[in-house]
Amino acid sequence: MSSSEWVELNFGPQHPSMHGVLRLKAKLDGEIVKEIEPVIGYLHRNAEKICEMTYFNDNLIYFDRMDYVGAMNMEVGYLEAAEKLLDISISERVKWIRVIMAELSRIAAHLVWAGAYGLDLGMLTPFFHCFIEREKLLTIFTEVSGSRQEVNYMCVGGVYQDITEKAISEIEDFVREFPKRLKDIFNMFMKNDIFLSRTKGIGILDKETAISYGVTGPMLRASGVEYDVRKAEPYLVYNQVNFDIPVSYKGDNLARVLVRFEEMRQSLKIVEQAVKKIPEGPYFNPKAKKSLMIRMRGEGDVYARTESSKGEFGVYIVGDGGVKPYRVRVRSPTLKNLSVLPELAKDVMIADMIAISGTLDLVFGEIDR
Amino acid sequence: MNILLRLQELFSPLGHLVSYILAYIFESLFLVIFVTISLIVMIYVFRKYMARVQQRIGPNRVGKFGLLQLIADALKLVGKENILPRNRDDLPYKLAPAMVFVSLVLAFTILPYGDFFYLGSFTVTHSEVTIILLFGIIAIMPIGEVLAGISSANKYALLGALRAVAKDVSFEIPMMLSVLAIVMMASARTPSSLSLESILSSEFLPYGILEPIGLFVFFISMVARASYTPFDLGESDSELVSGHSTEYSGMRFGMFYMGMFGSIFLGSLIVSILYLGGPSGPLESSLGFIWLIIKAAILVLISFTVWLSMPRIRIDKFINFGWKYLIPIAMINLILAGIITLGWGL
Amino acid sequence: MNYTVQVMGESVGKDGRKIIKVTKENFLDLMKDLRNHGFDHLSLVTGVDRKDFMEVVYHLHSMNTNEYVVVKVETRDYKIPSVTGIWKSADWDEREQYDMLGIIFEGHPNLKRLFLPESWVGHPLRKNYDMKKTQYINMDEEGNDYATFDERGGW
Repeated sequence: MSSSEWVELNFGPQHPSMHGVLRLKAKLDGEIVKEIEPVIGYLHRNAEKICEMTYFNDNLIYFDRMDYVGAMNMEVGYLEAAEKLLDISISERVKWIRVIMAELSRIAAHLVWAGAYGLDLGMLTPFFHCFIEREKLLTIFTEVSGSRQEVNYMCVGGVYQDITEKAISEIEDFVREFPKRLKDIFNMFMKNDIFLSRTKGIGILDKETAISYGVTGPMLRASGVEYDVRKAEPYLVYNQVNFDIPVSYKGDNLARVLVRFEEMRQSLKIVEQAVKKIPEGPYFNPKAKKSLMIRMRGEGDVYARTESSKGEFGVYIVGDGGVKPYRVRVRSPTLKNLSVLPELAKDVMIADMIAISGTLDLVFGEIDR
Repeated sequence: MNILLRLQELFSPLGHLVSYILAYIFESLFLVIFVTISLIVMIYVFRKYMARVQQRIGPNRVGKFGLLQLIADALKLVGKENILPRNRDDLPYKLAPAMVFVSLVLAFTILPYGDFFYLGSFTVTHSEVTIILLFGIIAIMPIGEVLAGISSANKYALLGALRAVAKDVSFEIPMMLSVLAIVMMASARTPSSLSLESILSSEFLPYGILEPIGLFVFFISMVARASYTPFDLGESDSELVSGHSTEYSGMRFGMFYMGMFGSIFLGSLIVSILYLGGPSGPLESSLGFIWLIIKAAILVLISFTVWLSMPRIRIDKFINFGWKYLIPIAMINLILAGIITLGWGL
Repeated sequence: MNYTVQVMGESVGKDGRKIIKVTKENFLDLMKDLRNHGFDHLSLVTGVDRKDFMEVVYHLHSMNTNEYVVVKVETRDYKIPSVTGIWKSADWDEREQYDMLGIIFEGHPNLKRLFLPESWVGHPLRKNYDMKKTQYINMDEEGNDYATFDERGGW
C-alpha cells in the first residue's frame, strides 16, 4: 500500500500497559507499523524551575518523584552534585549506607520492569511474584526511613536517621532468600518457548546507533559496549566492592532481558559485601547540620554522573553564590532511550512494537520530570 | 428414559401436543439454569485457582469463602450504565452479544449427557445428525465477535475483529478433519454415525486411545476457538485494549465474558464426549452424568493452567502454525483412522 | 590536544572536568573536530539564562578512552547552530531547550516543543517568565493539546 493509504492509529496516553502516559502516533499498513512518533509531556511538572526557587537541601524531594520506582538512585545522583558544589564532605559510614540503599533500589526497579514486561506479553503470573519480592524491599525501606516508595532518606551531609540493627538483620534475611526466588522468576520467563520466540532476534540495536543516540545503561550494555559509570568514574565506595558488569553482544530483546536479570544478581552481591563492611561513625556532617539554619551557599558549576537502574543519570547544577541554585539540569537516561524507539520500530508488527517498548523500561516521572 | 419423556408423562392429562410443548419448555429452562450455574461455579473456581497460583487469596469477603462474589459481580454489571458510541452501526452492535450467548446455550442442548440416577439424561433434542448440528451452531459464535468488532466505530475493535477472523478460519479446518476421523471410525460399527449418542453407545474403547493425535489436534483447536492466552489475539490486553469487545459496557460485556468461559466449558465437554468416552465409567446407568462432569472438569483445569502460564503468540506465527503444521497432522490422523477402520475389520 | 580552530580559553571546573570556551562562529568546526578526535557520546545539552546573554553548555564523552570535556558557547540573539547532524542524541535535547528557554537551533530538522503543547505562550525557564499568568490546557477533537488563557477553557 502506498503511504497515503496508511491507517493512523493512536496508542493513546491511557492504555492498559504499565508504561505510563505515553502517546504513540503510529501509521499502520495492515499489521505492520511504518512510522512512529512519540508524544510526551503528560507528566511534565517542570521540576527544574521549581528547584531554582527552593533551598539546596529541600530540593531533594523533587528528585524522589522522578524515577519513583527506584527512588534512592535519584537521591544519590543529586547529592553527588550538590555536596561537591557546597564543599561538604561525608563520613565513611554514610557512603556505605548510601551504596546499600542505592543497590536495593536498583533491584526494586528491575523487579517492577520484569513484572510489567510479563504483563505486556500476556503472562499474568510473574507480575505477582515480582511484586511479592518488592514488598519485602519496601518493608526494609519503611524500617529505615519511614516511608515505602518516596523515601526522602538522604540529605546534604548524610542521612536523616541512622540505620538500625533491625534493618540490617532484615537486609541480611533478604540477601539470603532472594537468590532462590530470583531463580524461580527467571525460569518462569526463560523456560517458556513462546517468550523466547517473542524476544529472540527482535528489535536489534547496533552499537553505532546506540552510542550516537546517547543510549546508556542496560540497553547499551546489551549492544556490546562495556560502559558503566560505577566502573568508569567510581563514586561513593564502588571501588572497594567486587562486582562484574554483564555485557551481551547480540542487541536484541532477549539480550536486554538477560542483562537486567544478571544486574539484579550483581546488585545482590554488592549488598552482601557491603552489609559486612559498614564502619562505625557519624551519620551526619556536623558542619552541614549547623548550616541548615544559615542555609548553605555554593558557587560555580558542577556535573556529577551516577548509574541509576536505567542508565547514566547526571545532574548539572549552576550556583551563583546564593542559597538557592541558579540552574539545575537533569540528564534523564530514559529520555535518550525513548528517542531510539522510532528507529527500532520500523517495519515491525504491532505485537513486536509492544515487546520492544517493554524492554526500554520507561518510567515517565523521569522522562517528563 | 430421559427427563423429557418423564415430564411429558407428568403433563399428559393436558393432552398430547400441549404436554410435549410444556415438557420442552421446562426442560430447556432446566438446561439454562444448569448452564448458568456451571458458568458461575467455573468462574469462581478460576478466580480462586488464579489467586493461589499467584500466591494470593482471591475473593473471600462476599459470603463465606467468597462464594457469593459472582452474584455480586453479575448484579453490578446489570446495574451499570450502557454507553453506546455515537457512530455505531445500531442493529449489529446490539445483536452481537446476544448471538454469542444464545448460540452458546443452544449448543448445550444437544450434547448427550449421561443418565443421572433415576431421572434420565438432560438432553433436550435428539436427532440423527447431532455432529453437523453441533458444529453448525458453534460456528455462529465467531460471527458474533466479528460483527461486534465491525459495528463499533473504533479502530482497535476493527483490528481485533480482523485478527479473530483470521484465527477462526485457520483453526476450523483441523477441527473438522479430526471429527471426520471419528465419524469414519464409528461408521464401521453403527449405521447412524453422525449422531453423538450412537457414537457413544457403539464404541468399545474411547477414541482417545485409538487416535491420540486427533485428541491433540482437536484440543488445540478448541483452545484457539475459546480465545484465551496463548491464543487471545482477538482481545490482546496490552496491545488492543480489549479487541472486539472494547466498546461494550454493562451486561453486554458480561455476555462476551461469559461466552468466553462458556466456550471453554463447551470445548471440554465436547472433547470428553468424543475422545474420552463421555459418560462411560463404573455404575454408568446411574452416575454417567457425574463421570462426564468429572472428565470435563479435569480438562477445564488443564485449560486454566495453560492460560495462566503462557504469554501470547504473535499472529503471523500462529496462523503459520495452523495452516502449515496442524492441517498436515490432522490429515495424517485421518489416514491412520482409515487404516485402522479397514484393517481391523471393525 | 590541538584544535583546528581558535578557542577562547581552557580551564578546569569545580568538578575536575576540562572546560573549553569558544565563540559562536568557530563553534560548529570545533564540534566536528572533537567528534573526529573520538568524542562519540554527547551526554547533555544545557541552556543557562544569564540575563544579558544565553549560555549553552555541551558535555562530551568518549567511550573508548573515558575522557570528558565541557564546551561552553555564548549567544546574545537566541540563535545557535545545531549539532544534530553530528550526534543524534542532540535531537530531543535541543527540542527540550527550545521548549523551556526559547533558544533556536538553526538547522534542526524538527524544532517543535517537546513537553508543552504547541500553542503555549512563553518559555518557562527564562528568568523573566511571568508566573502569575496561568494557562489552561485542553484537548481538541483530534486528540492534540492546546493551551489558552481562558480560565474556564480547561485544566
